[in-house]
This record gives sequence, structure tokens and C-alpha cells, in this order.
Amino acid sequence: MADTLLEVRGLNKSFGAILATNNLSLAVTRGHIHALIGPNGAGKTTLVDQLSGDMRPDSGSIHFRGRNITRWKSYRRARLGIARSHQITHIFENLSVAENMGLAICAGLGHNFRFWRHWRSASAIQKELPFALERVDLLHRSELVARHLSHGEKRQLEVGMALIGKPELLILDEPMAGLGPGGTVELAKLIRKQKGQVTILLVEHDMDVVFSLADRVTVLVYGENIATGSPDEIRRNPLVRKAYLGEGG
Amino acid sequence: MLLVIEQLLNGLQLGITLFLMAAGLTLVFGIMQVINLAHGSFYMIGAYVGATVAAHTGSFLLAMLAAVGAAALVGCVVEILVLRHLYRRQHLDQVLATFGLIMFFNELIRIVWGRQPLFMNVPAGLNKSIELLPGLPYPTYRLVVIAVGLLVALFLWLMFAKTKVGMQIRAGSSNREMIGALGVNINLLYTLVFGLGALLAGLAGVMAGPILAVEPGMGESILILTFVVIVIGGIGSIRGAVAGALLVGMVDTLGRAFLPSLLRTILATATADSVAASLSSMAIYILMAAILVWKPRGLFPAHG
Amino acid sequence: MNLLMTRKQIIIISVALFLIFLPPVALFGGKPYLLSLASRIVIYALAAASLDLLLGYGAMISLGHAAFVGVGAYAVGILHFHSTAAEPLFTWPFLFAGSNNGLVVLPLAALTAAFAALIIGALSLRTVGMHFIMITLAFAQMLYYFFTSLEKYGGDDGLSLAARNTLPGLNLGNPSHFYYLCLAALFVFLFFAYRLVGSRFGLVIRGAGNNDRRIKGLGIHSYHYKLAVFVIAGGSAGLAGALLANQTEFVTPGLMHWTLSGELMVMVLLGGLGTLFGPVLGAAVFLLLEETLAMYTEHWMVYMGPFLVVTVIFAKRGLFGFLAGDKGKNG
Repeated sequence: MADTLLEVRGLNKSFGAILATNNLSLAVTRGHIHALIGPNGAGKTTLVDQLSGDMRPDSGSIHFRGRNITRWKSYRRARLGIARSHQITHIFENLSVAENMGLAICAGLGHNFRFWRHWRSASAIQKELPFALERVDLLHRSELVARHLSHGEKRQLEVGMALIGKPELLILDEPMAGLGPGGTVELAKLIRKQKGQVTILLVEHDMDVVFSLADRVTVLVYGENIATGSPDEIRRNPLVRKAYLGEGG
Repeated sequence: MLLVIEQLLNGLQLGITLFLMAAGLTLVFGIMQVINLAHGSFYMIGAYVGATVAAHTGSFLLAMLAAVGAAALVGCVVEILVLRHLYRRQHLDQVLATFGLIMFFNELIRIVWGRQPLFMNVPAGLNKSIELLPGLPYPTYRLVVIAVGLLVALFLWLMFAKTKVGMQIRAGSSNREMIGALGVNINLLYTLVFGLGALLAGLAGVMAGPILAVEPGMGESILILTFVVIVIGGIGSIRGAVAGALLVGMVDTLGRAFLPSLLRTILATATADSVAASLSSMAIYILMAAILVWKPRGLFPAHG
Repeated sequence: MNLLMTRKQIIIISVALFLIFLPPVALFGGKPYLLSLASRIVIYALAAASLDLLLGYGAMISLGHAAFVGVGAYAVGILHFHSTAAEPLFTWPFLFAGSNNGLVVLPLAALTAAFAALIIGALSLRTVGMHFIMITLAFAQMLYYFFTSLEKYGGDDGLSLAARNTLPGLNLGNPSHFYYLCLAALFVFLFFAYRLVGSRFGLVIRGAGNNDRRIKGLGIHSYHYKLAVFVIAGGSAGLAGALLANQTEFVTPGLMHWTLSGELMVMVLLGGLGTLFGPVLGAAVFLLLEETLAMYTEHWMVYMGPFLVVTVIFAKRGLFGFLAGDKGKNG
């Protein structure tokens, strides 16, 4: 497994008597879109929190780019190349789209104690801003105040902000939640566009989205990895049908 | 030694007044998430109404009832007319609107009662002293103030810990939606809580009447001390209000009483007096700063 | 190039021209007292605009801004006191006898206020929300009591200045000269602040004001940025205080009273939050309203108070936003 970007070995996390993550192992291959699915309460967000460093596992280890990052704080993981977007959109509602993106770029510039020149005239920003906006199809919206964006566009903006700084791994936590059908299609297109540039761990409810985008799918039930495989394999897996897909049909 | 005990009692008495102010204000902060600068106005209204009724009837008991009633009434009206529209607004709006209320009330008081301070007599029968210890006489009135304050504290504790209304209020402070879902009339509950806070402020005001001058703007000096109490104790916490009020009352009183003589032992008299004057007037703020460095959310931060 | 100006620009330019040409007009029209009122408006405009940096951009609701005005004023008063008294201000590490030279006094006043803002800000910014409001108010009150207790500098009664500061080429005793000095200070500040909010630093401040948790999520330690802007605003308020001391030739602890902090806030809100230029209009409207109402009744505050409450509840974008047809920043 030379090209494994993220590897999780025997991860455990419990809250009282509840096992939220149960001896979970998982490997994400570089360049893939790896989907993480599972019924409600399967422990998806708990797992994501442990990967991003917002939560400490009880035991087990997490390896990223060959380094054991189990005990690293989230900002160190971010520097090593893990970016995350949240279930609830985190953007600056009162700033323009360009300013939102600009702030994300500024965050990577060391310090920002520059009092005089307009922020747009910083060379790093001039170089990166149009490209960053174009990447998430928001260039035509750049002067709009972010709170006037549609729900889907806000998600696009957040994904765009997470992509700043060229992360190796982008964790998207239920990006489709709350989007209408149109928004879902747009965002799926956008995620597909990133393929090859960045490895994506996609936590998602929407099965159509998962099966159309993912290279690999991991199914989580009660904090346990019950199956991992290609979308086709997962679709055919009797265990998965019983535990999960059977639920809906 | 006797002097120390006397000053400790004075500190306790100031602490009690501050507690009456802080208890209501911290509830409003904690439950409605609204910052109310006009809380001092209820204190002032209590003092003015109390002083007036006492002067006309000669009965302190009537004065207290009138003061407390007036403050609670004004509190409820203010909640319905103004504060209710500000619950979901930014703190800045709340600050500005309640600042406007202060301007209004201070000026209204000047129109009705004039610019000169009123003086309120210590109620007959309480204007003597009790010899607590041999050689330590202490004004009866101040002892009564302390006793009333302690009773109120006990009452509040019982109400919050033991009664259904108290539990509703506590539930309201932790979960606005849930309490609404339980079928409690949240608007009425908020008005009553606000009125209760104003009532306590009015009580503090009328009891302070015979000790301090009753004058326009008296609400603000006590309000700022109350803020210090709440910052020290933690927003929304009655326990914190008790602890903060006693700390501030003691530090302020003891500082003013003993700093000059303490400093005179190490500095020349003139220097010591001026340093002591500065230090003792700033003591509680220095205390606040120290606690802030140590515990930014106060001694007893409420949940959430 | 678009030759048409926006309404915003038209308003700014006309107000600036009005302010610039006010002195000759007032003197020619035989109303020199207008200049003193105008100077006062310009000084308060400076203080209010500096507060707008905190309120309108960083969402730091400081209820103690008058403290820095007062510190600036006292710096002028105390330096003046020692320059006329036999006793020097300090003798170590070098002898400093006080000064009346504006080139020394005005920067020192701003620096002292900035230093006070550094201490108060460093402590207060450890908290947010209601705590921050109460703490800034409490620290301002502390300074108020501190200066009240300074018997040497007049205590409660304050300190009178025998003369205004001196500046080469200007006679500050001359109302026009003094007015132009204040106006220059205001214009320089507004230009600087305008650049500031558009800079990378300003972007971080605006981001922190909008959503502080998100800023921290981006890995930016907003505390340092907020402290820096707190110091800048405090220093500018100190300069306003120094000018105010020169105008009235009198300093008192009353300058730090929290009601002045509240009034500065009102000016910002009336003019328009987060517009920098709005507070200038707000200061003018507030002070003119005060003057006018005071002509009819000494109890003008009984009208001002409810007016304020109603303004807060119903109007959200301020005068400048209204005039410029703006949507408002925080609506």
C-alpha cells in the first residue's frame, strides 16, 4: 500500500457505555474520493472529529502521509494537509465572497499586520484569489455579500475556503445536507472537478451522490467498518444490504 | 479588633445591597441574554418612591412596599415596551436602548423631584444602636438591612431549588425552545423574571435610602459596582452573585477603612494618604482584573 | 472612468467642503461662536469615528471609550501643570519638566491613551460578549475614580490650563487656527482608518467582528489583531481628548464619565455603524440636537432618551446609510 494517504488502525472511542468508534481500521488511497456512509448514529461525525483532531481517540492510531498524528492538535494536522468542511456552513456572512476567500488565503500568509495597502494588492492574494474563486464557480459572485448567496453557493464557498493552502486531504462532512436537488447536482459536479487535485473523504447520506462520485466506499455501522470496496461491490454486498441499504427499501 | 468587626459588618451590608442588585441583573443576563444598563434606574426609583412615601406617611414599612411595588411595576412596563423587542438583537442595540432609558429616567426624576438630593430618615425605632459586643455598638438599621438581605437570599435559593416556577426559570435559561415546547408562556415568564429583578433593585434602593443620599444618577454608580460583582461571580449564576457581592463589599469597605493606616506604616503620611485614596478607590477593579486573568468567565460560570 | 459619483462620495465631499469653508463663512457672517461649536463637533467626530473602528468593524462593544478621551486630556493638563509649576513631572531617568509644546504634548497624549488601551484591552479582550461590555465600563470607571483621587491635579474639580498648547506657525488661541488643527486631525484619522479597514489587517478585524470562531478556525489568532485595533482606537480617542482639553482649557474626571462613552456610542449608531464617515454626521447631529433642545428645555434628555430607544428599535442603518441609500452593513 505505497500510495495510502490516510490510514486508521484499530481506532476506539466510547462515550460512557456507547461505543462510537469500534476497533475501526480504514485506508484512504491518494487521489481517491473515498466515501463514508452509514445510518444515523453510526459514528461518522465522531470519526471525522478524530481525524481532524477535534476529538481524541481512546486507543488506536491515525497515520497521515506516513506519520503518526494520533496525538496531534487540529492546527498541526491542518498544516500537514488535512482540511475539513463542517456540516453547518462556516462562512463570514457579512463579508463579500471575495473577502471570505481572501481571509482564507490570508490565514496562510504568516501574519497580517499590514495596515496600509489594500488586502487585494498583496501579491499572494492577486495570484491565488481569482483561481480560488474560479475553482468553486464563484468568480461571477465575488462581490456579493456572502449572506445573499444561495444555500448551495455557501457550501461551494466553504469548500473553496477549505481548498486554500492545497490540502492533501479534504474531509467533507455531509456537504449535501440541506441542499435542494439543483444544489446537490451543482456541488457534486464541483466535487468531481477536484478529483485528482486532492484526496477527498466524503461523509454523506445521499446514496446517489456517493455511488456516482466515490472510488471507494466504507460502510460504518455502530462505529464499525462492516465493509469497504468499490461502489459496485458495496451495492452487491449482502451484509451491507441487510444492515443499511435494506433499511430504505 | 472591634474596628475590624465593625468594618466587616459594613462590608457585609454593602455586599448585601450589591447582592440584591446583582441577583436580578444576573438572572436577566443569564436567562434572556440581554444586557440591561437601566437596572440602576429601578434602584433609583425605589429610593425616590420610598423616600417620598416615608416623608408623607412616616411609615417605613409603607415606604418599602411602595418602593418595591413601583420598581417592579416600572420593570414590567419597561420589559413589555422596550426590552422584549431586543432579546434577539445584538448586544450593541441593547446597550444603546437601555442607555436611552437611563437618560430618560434620570431626567424624569429631576423633573419630578428636582436636582437636590433627598434625605431619608432612618425609621423610628431602628435609629438606635445595639451593642453587639462590649464596646461595639452597631446601628440597628444596618443590622436590619443585613437580615433582610439574608432572608431574600434564602428565599431566592428556595425558589430556584425547590419550586416549579424556579425550575422553569432555570430550564428557560438553559433551553429557550424546550421551555416553550413545555407549554409555559415564555413571554409572561420573562416579564415576571424581569419584574422580580426590578423589585429586588427597588428593595436595595429603598433600604440604601437612609444610608446614602437619594439623588439622580445614584443608580449608575451602584450599577457599575454590580457589573463588577457579576463579572467576578460569573454571568447567570446566583451563587456567583453572592460570592462576588460579598467579595466586592468587603474589599471596597476594608480597603477604604484600613489602607491609609496600613500604608502610613511604610510611607510618609502625605504620600500614604494620597496613594491610599487612589488604591482604595481602585481596589475592586484591581480585584476584578486579577480574577479575570485567573478565570475569564468568573468564579462560578453558569453552564453553556 | 466613470465620471458620475456615487451618492456616498457626493455626501462625503460636500460635508468635507462645508467643514473646510466654515471658518471664513462664520467669521464673515459675524457668528464666530459657531467656530467653537464646530471645533467641538469635529473633536467628538474624531472620538466617535475611532470608536466605530471597534464597534462597527471589530464588533467589540466597548463601553469605556471615554476613558481614553480622558487620559488624553489629562496628559495635556498634567504636562501643562508641571510646565508652569516649579516641580518637574519626573527627574528620572531624565529630567522632564512638563511641556506646553503641542509637538511634544499631542503625540504624548495619544501615546499615553494608547498605552492605557493596551493594558485595558489586553485584559478585557480575554472575554467576549456581555463580559466585555461590563469590563470595559468597569475599567473606565476605575480610571475615573483614579483621577478623582489625584488631589494634586485638582481631584474632583479638575485642572485649569492657563493657555492652549503652542505649535510652530499656528496660534491655537485663534479659533480658526484651532479649528483647522482639529479638522486636520479628523481628516488624517479618517484617511488612515479608511486604509486600515481595507487592508489585510482590516480584513482580519472585519472577519473577527463577523464570526470570531471562524477566524480562529482558520488558524488566525484574532486576539492580537483585536488588541492592536483597540490600541489604535484608544490612541486616537486620546488625541481627541487632548484637543478637547485645549479647547476648553480645562480637564476634569467628568471627561471619563461613562455617560460620555454612551454618548459616543450613540453618535456612532446615529451616523451609521461601520461607515467611519457616519459617526462624523452622528456627532454633528447629536451635538446640534443637544444644543437646540437645551435652548428650549433644560430637561432635553427626557426627549433624547426615548428618541434613542425608538431609533434603536426601528432604524438600523444610521443616518449615513439612509442618505447614501446604502443597504447597511449589519442589517
